[in-house]
Amino acid sequence: MSNTYLDQFPAEAKVVRAAFYSSFFALAIGGLFGIVQTLHRTDVYRFMDSADYYTVLTAHGVLLAITFTIFFLVGVFTWAVTTSLDRGVENLRFTWAWYGLMVIGTAMAAIPIFAGFTDSIDMSASVLFTFYAPLQGHPLFYLGLVLFVVGTWLAGVDWFRSWRAWKAEHPDERIPLPTFMVLTTTIMWYIATLGVAAAILLFLLPWSLGLIESVNPLLTRTLFWFFGHPVVYFWLMPTYMMWYVMLPKFSGGKLFSDPLARVVFVLFLILSVPTGIHHQYLDPGIAEGFKFIAMTNTMFLLLPSLLTAFTVVASMEHGARQRGGTGYFGWLKALPWRDPVFTGMALAGLMFAAAGFSGMVNAGMNINYLVHNTFWVVGHFHLTVGTAVALTFMAVTYWFLPQITGKALWSRPVALVQVVLWFVGMTFMSNAMHRAGLLGVPRRTAEPQYEGVTFEAAVGSVGELNAQIALGGVILTISLVLFFANVIATGFNGRSDELPSNGYADALSGPEDAPLVLDNLKLWTAIAIVLVIFAYTFPLLSIVQRGGLFGPEVITFPVSLESLAPIAAALEYGGLATVDGVASAVTGALEPGRIAIAEVVR
Amino acid sequence: MSQSIDESTQTTEIGHDEYDPVGTLALIGLYFLILVALWIFVYFVEFLGNDPTVVTGSALLLAGVGHR
Amino acid sequence: MGALLVVVAFTVPLFVELRTVLSWVGVELTVLESVALAAVAIAALLVWALWPESDGPDSSNAG
Repeated sequence: MSNTYLDQFPAEAKVVRAAFYSSFFALAIGGLFGIVQTLHRTDVYRFMDSADYYTVLTAHGVLLAITFTIFFLVGVFTWAVTTSLDRGVENLRFTWAWYGLMVIGTAMAAIPIFAGFTDSIDMSASVLFTFYAPLQGHPLFYLGLVLFVVGTWLAGVDWFRSWRAWKAEHPDERIPLPTFMVLTTTIMWYIATLGVAAAILLFLLPWSLGLIESVNPLLTRTLFWFFGHPVVYFWLMPTYMMWYVMLPKFSGGKLFSDPLARVVFVLFLILSVPTGIHHQYLDPGIAEGFKFIAMTNTMFLLLPSLLTAFTVVASMEHGARQRGGTGYFGWLKALPWRDPVFTGMALAGLMFAAAGFSGMVNAGMNINYLVHNTFWVVGHFHLTVGTAVALTFMAVTYWFLPQITGKALWSRPVALVQVVLWFVGMTFMSNAMHRAGLLGVPRRTAEPQYEGVTFEAAVGSVGELNAQIALGGVILTISLVLFFANVIATGFNGRSDELPSNGYADALSGPEDAPLVLDNLKLWTAIAIVLVIFAYTFPLLSIVQRGGLFGPEVITFPVSLESLAPIAAALEYGGLATVDGVASAVTGALEPGRIAIAEVVR
Repeated sequence: MSQSIDESTQTTEIGHDEYDPVGTLALIGLYFLILVALWIFVYFVEFLGNDPTVVTGSALLLAGVGHR
Repeated sequence: MGALLVVVAFTVPLFVELRTVLSWVGVELTVLESVALAAVAIAALLVWALWPESDGPDSSNAG
């Protein structure tokens, strides 16, 4: 008789399963749009109108960066809390309620996006993942996003309720590591989503409903990035959790240090949010000084990531040495490379190391100018969310599927080939994207071919880079097909009694070695909030002071196909207006900030 | 289906005190060297060695017009 | 086997960027040449890894 998660928590396993399947559904559609875009952009195969490219791009971004990742991670977090506290959820109806809310929210946001493909429905939201004003989506899109986020908030309430109930019964015990990771991530998420909630509820939704005339684009954009940077840690922290509590187990060893893992998650809680302005290095209207503060915070964020690199590799090495590995590099041979779960996660980690480099370039204020808004950035986040997160999630799915279905995985060799193909495909695609970005090829454009502009490649040519991107996209698509084949075929398998037990890795240095203060969540939350106040008060004040809460006069661009021509005309006009705006912004940017600081000092 | 800790392939039990992660040091050290080399390449060759790009170039142009 | 698959995968980024590195020392490779080079290198790797060692005492070497 096996002792899987399904045997221990049958009701919760159903919720986790529903969350995973929702996530895979989003992955399938988002992935399909990925290859469509790749072929269109590189001009290998264009079968749709270039205006539809932006609808495809929006769906790709929202479905993969929001729906796929977050549905998967709420499943993982529910598993982590129930498993590590060894208790079911407090109220199963509540758990299903937040899941249902997330599904409804996704559907509501998806309807206007997909309606953008047809002229017969007067509705669209091709505003891209970032929904910058003055691009305006249908109100249903914003409402859907709100409901989805509220669903995740309630999920967080669910996990906190479990923890409090557990704490009442175990007053003197340390929070188990997986639960600790869930709680810190949830607090970070609560703080971060305040930004997007404010942007949508106070400005974008009333504006798209016609209740207010205009918005301040820089304000909503800054509020978006208040959320937009920490959201990447909302994907990454579950990934790190898998690297910390699962990868050592698959390597045949133990987690190197439980205290170090707690330090890392505390650092992420503190530093994730006050960094968002580093996405706006090129935004006029935010003073350099504020950008410098964001850069400093960002550089501090390298610390928990490098700590993670050390701890995770050390845990793998521990496993390898227990399996008989020796030498400085020879131990690598002793790792279980046949296991798709291990190999997928290890390759994801390797790709993340490469992403660490391009991330450092993005983070530096001056060198960022080289790559800002270029294809480099797209290459970067396909290494982070597209590989470190997505490949880890897919790899660990091969462990979770038997746990939540009670059925053996359909094929381990296919799974192994799948994760390796993802690595190879992403190597081609992402590397070429980085290189194209260095040549100045812009992102977010359907046809990056311009008259009178040639992108000079030092070695090879832009055509070769495009070929590499298309080739990579095709390999990634094959990898996705193999993934879904495995998931679906596993669903058709019969129940198995010989599955591995549910559980996670032990630690070499356990929680008893961790200072008690690490578990003081109130303290870390307070510090996180103070840092956010430091980093954001003055930039927001100065943006509002200069541009007004609801903005100077702006021209609204409802995004739909028939409005393209007027948009083009308006852009031309708006572009001229912007030049004037920039002039006053540059001169005006520093002054209000100085006055505000002077007032505070007084 | 994935193996958990496969007892048959585990040859030794290494505790906290006898474990010395030299392999990790070697790997992370190598990674650090690669990072430094790549950063130098991007900064000195690509950043200082190139003209403004289409994207950032136009932004600089805008800023330049703005200063006028 | 698994490790071999990963090693083969890991050669891909090396060969993709080999052209760039070589161009720094004045060696210009075409796409076809780098693909051929990669194919030869991977084939050599596979032969080295999969060559049966237990043929007899004469076939053993230090590799």
